Formats: sequence, structure tokens, C-alpha cells
Amino acid sequence: MAPPNPPLVPRRDEVIRRHRSSGGRLAAVLPIHYSRAVFRAHRMLPVEVWGPPGIDTSPGDAHLQSYTCGIVRSSLAFVLSGGLDVADIIVVPHGCDSLQGLGSVLLDFAKPRQPVATLYVPRGPRSASVVFLAEELRALSRRLSEISGIEPTLDELRQAIAREESADRALADLLDARPHLPFADADFYRVARAREYLPAEDFEPLARAMLAERVAAKRPGIPVVLSGLVPEPMNFLGAVADAGGVIVGDDLACLGRRRYAPGRSDDPWKHLAESLLDAPPDSTRGSSTADRLAWIEKLATDSGAKAVVFYLVKFCEPELFYLPQLRQGLEERGLKSVVIETDIAESLSHQAVTRLEALLESVS
Amino acid sequence: MTLGLAKYQHLAVSFLGRGALRYERLRQEAKLKRKGSWKSERFAPPLSTSPRLKELISLHYLKGRTADERGPVAWVTSGAPVEFLVALGYYVLYPENHGAVCGIRRVSEKISVHAEDAGYSRDLCSYARTDIGAALSGETPVGRLPRPDLLVACTNICQTVLLWYQVLAAHFRVPLVIIDTPFLYGEATERDIDFVRKQIEEAVAVAERVAGRSLSESRLMQVTRRSKEATELWLKVMETGKAKPAPITAFDEFIHMAPIVEMRGEQFTVDYYRAMLQELEARVRQGSGAVLRERKRLIWDNLPIWPRVRWLSEKLADRGVSLVASTYTNAWGELADLVDPEHPLESAAKVYLHPILNRGTGHKLATMEKMVRDYQADGVILHSDRSCKPYSIGQMDQRERLGTAAGVPALLLEADHNDPRSFSEEQAASRLAAFFEVLEA
Repeated sequence: MAPPNPPLVPRRDEVIRRHRSSGGRLAAVLPIHYSRAVFRAHRMLPVEVWGPPGIDTSPGDAHLQSYTCGIVRSSLAFVLSGGLDVADIIVVPHGCDSLQGLGSVLLDFAKPRQPVATLYVPRGPRSASVVFLAEELRALSRRLSEISGIEPTLDELRQAIAREESADRALADLLDARPHLPFADADFYRVARAREYLPAEDFEPLARAMLAERVAAKRPGIPVVLSGLVPEPMNFLGAVADAGGVIVGDDLACLGRRRYAPGRSDDPWKHLAESLLDAPPDSTRGSSTADRLAWIEKLATDSGAKAVVFYLVKFCEPELFYLPQLRQGLEERGLKSVVIETDIAESLSHQAVTRLEALLESVS
Repeated sequence: MTLGLAKYQHLAVSFLGRGALRYERLRQEAKLKRKGSWKSERFAPPLSTSPRLKELISLHYLKGRTADERGPVAWVTSGAPVEFLVALGYYVLYPENHGAVCGIRRVSEKISVHAEDAGYSRDLCSYARTDIGAALSGETPVGRLPRPDLLVACTNICQTVLLWYQVLAAHFRVPLVIIDTPFLYGEATERDIDFVRKQIEEAVAVAERVAGRSLSESRLMQVTRRSKEATELWLKVMETGKAKPAPITAFDEFIHMAPIVEMRGEQFTVDYYRAMLQELEARVRQGSGAVLRERKRLIWDNLPIWPRVRWLSEKLADRGVSLVASTYTNAWGELADLVDPEHPLESAAKVYLHPILNRGTGHKLATMEKMVRDYQADGVILHSDRSCKPYSIGQMDQRERLGTAAGVPALLLEADHNDPRSFSEEQAASRLAAFFEVLEA
């Protein structure tokens, strides 16, 4: 039987145009952790910027050294070449030293036409982090008020939170059901990553439509967990399929590590903070190696994966530090892995494809 | 190790080691006093406190060899609040300083390879690779590093340390305390300070539990007082570089900063910097410069290139260029005013939030511009350090602003603080030669 057609995903520029034409405001948000509900309470659409891939990075070369991560270099080049002119504000959450540097360079030197706001997401588990992050989110909201002219009531914020949590549940369901969804990986990721720019109320029906096609049988192929940052360039997903692999578990920073569960507190700000801080283990929040290993192992066990692919953006220190201990731990649990580094501004290398093929052959 | 052997080793360290180091210091001091013993045509004779520095550092690592047999040991990041650990009787080891020692002794590459062989990428910080390599192999030029009972990582210098210490925590299976200092794009807020203060209090509780003893408030105040005093003296030491000619260079400071980084809170550190300051003030009165025939004065930005400190210092001195100050060494002095021994934990929250590395790129530019004015410098060398992204990102704009807005020639020099494989002597020499021409034009 032929696989079902994947739901039609609206293009990013189309969504932005539609939102703009309805009088809505737009925030360009860099990786990784932030609360969408805060923006939506301001009737502002957060649209994420993961590069974008494949663009000319030379406009940023006068500001950033070549050993800076490609996401940061591409993002700056995109800002400087007018790619984000459509946004009313640029928000840079603190994900790593390079994103920190980007935020600082934007504020102090590059100075885009729109205001720049930052958000510090605390590292290390502790009770004080919830209070601190809740205050950070409040401060961000005050900053957004200057642009939106809106001061959301707590009820409005709660409504926005409820909408986002419903969409988050749909995303989590998608990720859990992945082995049983008869769609090509490229189609799956196109839908799942639409969460990066679609309003929650538009994303959820898409996700549910995909979930409605769930079948009992698992997808044929060599099952793997995909870890790393972001599946760009997207033809990497085609390379996985060509090599006989199917992605059944996701630990990507752009997706699986943002399976946000609802917070516990009644106070909406603390509720949002808890939700971000309780997300799956993540390098940019400084999770312990043991926690990350246990999480990836669980993904593999639950999905029946035989191997793990670490798909990294070059110069990503947060990811690189974990790799030796994670890989050793996975090996001890009978899971093989491979590391593939890429520059999102460039096309997928033959070497990357060969490494992927070698891994899948070894576990087939 | 049996208790008897530990005691024997401790005695050997305490008496024989100390004695040998003291003898060596006296020998070096006597040598420095001998007329005609110093023959350099580039540099003034070393400070007479230099042998004492060598003794302090050697003794610190000598104690470290058996420290884990005698009491609690903490490995900490260079920007971490250390006063409560000293007050609790911890032997404190700074892996970054150990990394620098490896760099100066030119073994960092060899030790890093152990980490690289274990899968740690060459794109990671070279201090981290050196340290992880030393932890995995046991290889070190200082004899032996004590096993930690506690790890303390403070993110005020970078996020890298957090990730690096996670590796150490998993390797040694000991508690890791993370003190997370929100990055200051602008000014610190009350919530930033409060957040850090709470974490320091939590860190104290963990350190007390691991050490099996309680923190004495009076002892903490005493340690903080010494820490403040040493920091103030260190600042004054650096400020003697404002004199023309400068009696000390940033290259000297890179070496002499070891006690302020890894021996803060100790009386001998205070005594050491007091003696050093006296000697430098005397040199200022005599008009004696560290670089003979000082013609140009430069500021250095970022960490040193440890394996090439000597090469670079000679290269500059050959042209009569004195490196009169650096943003890096300045970081351990500029916050002295914020330290309040009467309120040690509260003031620590402020102090440890404000290092230059935890502040925005614009603040660093302002710091450099001020240093150029205060030290009457002719230019700036910005070490674009492949291994230190938080220090290096922003430098391209800073160089441009220094040149266009402030009219200060600035050179971006690509290298790495501890990995000699990322440094090309020929390329650096040719970049420096071109820069000297600009300075002299």
C-alpha cells in the first residue's frame, strides 16, 4: 500500500505574510529555549532562526571569526543582509558562548534596525533557577510590551500557555509515535519543525492529521536515534533513507529536547519557567552526562533503535564535550553511534554520507 | 595508600620539599644579586621576587601531590568564589592554571592528545583538553595532581567550564557545584545578584558536607580580607605599568598572576604582592623599564599564548615594544573595590558576577579604550583565541572601533592559548612586522 500523503505544511514566508497582513507583530527568535506563550500573549508570532542554512555568510565575516559556529554566523549574516527586516524584535536566548557573543555583538556593534532582547536560561538544577527564570520571562514580557503596546493580563497569559501546551502535547505525541507513522523522515521533520514558526493553533491540526495515519507496524529500515542540533541541510534525512535507515527517536536540540511538559505552579511565570527547566536533558542547559545518557538510551529502548547518529554543527562546544562519554556509555549498552559534523552553510559532504552508511551497515 | 606511607610522603613534602625549594630560591636570589650576572640586551633583570614566585608555585603543586591524603580537595574554575573553600581548609587546584603550566612547559599538546585519543575534539578549549588529558593519563609536569573531592565551576568566565566540569564529574564521580552567573549584556540587576548569592550559599552547604566541617564566619571574613588585600596589591602592581618606561610588562604579569588566581585568601600571597609592589615602585623611581629602550607601548587583550610567551615577548622587545597592560591580568584586580570582608558572601555575589568575561562586548571595548588612555598606549594586540570564544567573539568589532573611533592601531592575532598547533610563528611574525610598521608610521 502506498504511504499516505503528508499534510501540507504552510511555508514560513507565507505564514509570516499572513500574520503580518492581519496586523500581527513578529519576533525573530534564535535557539534554543524560550516560552512561545509569552510572545503569543502579546499577539506576537515567534519565528525561529536556525541559521538559516545554505545562505552566504560573508556579510557576517567582518564581525565573527571563522571558528564560530555556523548557526551563529549564518544568523548574523541573515540579520545584516536584511533577512530579518520583517521582524519587530530579535530575541537571543542564552544557549552557549557563541549565542551569548552574538547577542552582545548585535546589541553593541552590529545594531540591527529592530530592538534586540536577550533571555538568560539558567544552568544546573536548583530551586532558585525557577524564580530567576520566571523573572527573566517577566522582564522579556515588559520588553515586548514596549513594542506590542500590550500588557497581557494573567488570564491572557494563561490562555496563551494553554494553547501552547496543547501544541506541545501534539508534538510529543508525534515524537512518540514516530516508529509507527508511515511518512518519510523528510516529511515528518517538515511537519514537526513547523512548530518553529507556525502558531500553536495551526500546528496542532497538522500534527494531529499526521498522527491519524498511525499504523500498527513499525516502519521498515534500520532504526536510529538522531541526536545533535538541527537536521540541516535537510538532504541529510534523504541520505539516512538512502542508506537504509529510519529515524525512530529524536534528541535534536531543535525538536526532541524541547518536549516541554506543563509546569507545576499556578503562577503562570513560574509555570513557564518550570516547563523550560524540566525539558529533556540538554547540553545548553548543562545537564549531566548521566542524565543525557539515560535519556538517549530510553529513546533508543522505547523506539527499538539500533544506533545513534550525532549530527552536529561544526564548532558546537556544548555538544562536543559530551560525545566521548555518551558514545562510550551507549557502546556499553550495545548501541553503536557515529558523529557527523557539518556546516549548515554548506552542502552535505560525501564523507558524511560514507560515515552514515558505514554505521548502518555495521548494525544491519 | 596506607596511612603510614601518606604520613611519610607528607613529611617528605613538608620538610624535604620545602627545604629544597627554599634552598633553590636563596640560590636564585643570590645569583640575581651578583653584579654582571644578567646579560640580556632586551630586558631588565628579573624582579628579585621572581625566585619567590617560583617557590610559591612549586610549593603549591608539591603540597598538591599528597593533598588528597590529608584533607579535602576542590578543583575549581579560575573565576569561582574560592574564599569559602580556603576557609573550610580545602586544598584548591585550578585546572586552568595547571593547563597554563603545561603550556609554558610545552607539554600541553602531548597531554591534550590523551583527551583527543579518547574522542575529545580539537575544536574544544585547549585548557579543557589539557586537563581532561591529564585526568585520563595521570600525566603532568608537576608530579601528580590530587584527586578532587569536590568540583566547583562558575560560569562567569565561559559556559565551557560547565561542560568541561561535567566531564570531570563523570570521570571522578564526585559532586559538582555549578555557580551560574547570568551574563551581563548591560548592568547587573538585583535578581542577578540575588540568584548568584543563593547559589553561593548552596555551594557552601555542599562544600561543608563534603569537607565534614562547618564554615567559620570569622575565618571566612579573614580569608576574604586577605583576598581583598591581595587583589588591591595586584591592581597596584599592574598600575605601575602606567609609568614610562613601564617597570613590568604584561608578559611578566602573566607569570606573576599565578598567586592571585590560585592562592587568593592566603597571607603569603599578600606578602608576596606587597614585596613585588615595593620593588616595582623602586624601579619606577629609578626610571628603570622592564623592556630596555622602550619605544612603543601596547595593550594585550585575551589570554596569553602560553607556549609562545617567551618568543612573543622577545619579538616585541626586539622592536622596543613594551606590553604595558592586559585586559586578562587586569580582570583579577579591577574588582577589588567590590570585595567587602564584613559581608563576604553578599559581596562575593557581586564580585563574581562582574569579571570582564561575564560582561558584554561593548564593556570590553570601553575597558580597552580606558586602558589605552591610562597606560598611554600606542596600540592594542587582540589575541583571537581559537580556544576561547567568549573572550574572542566581539574582537573584530572592537579592533575596528579602536581604529576608527579612537584612532588606536589594533592587530588581531590568530592563535590559541594552549595549543601550539594553532599557532604559526611565521604568520605571526609577519603580522607583527606589519603592525610595527603601522605603529612607527
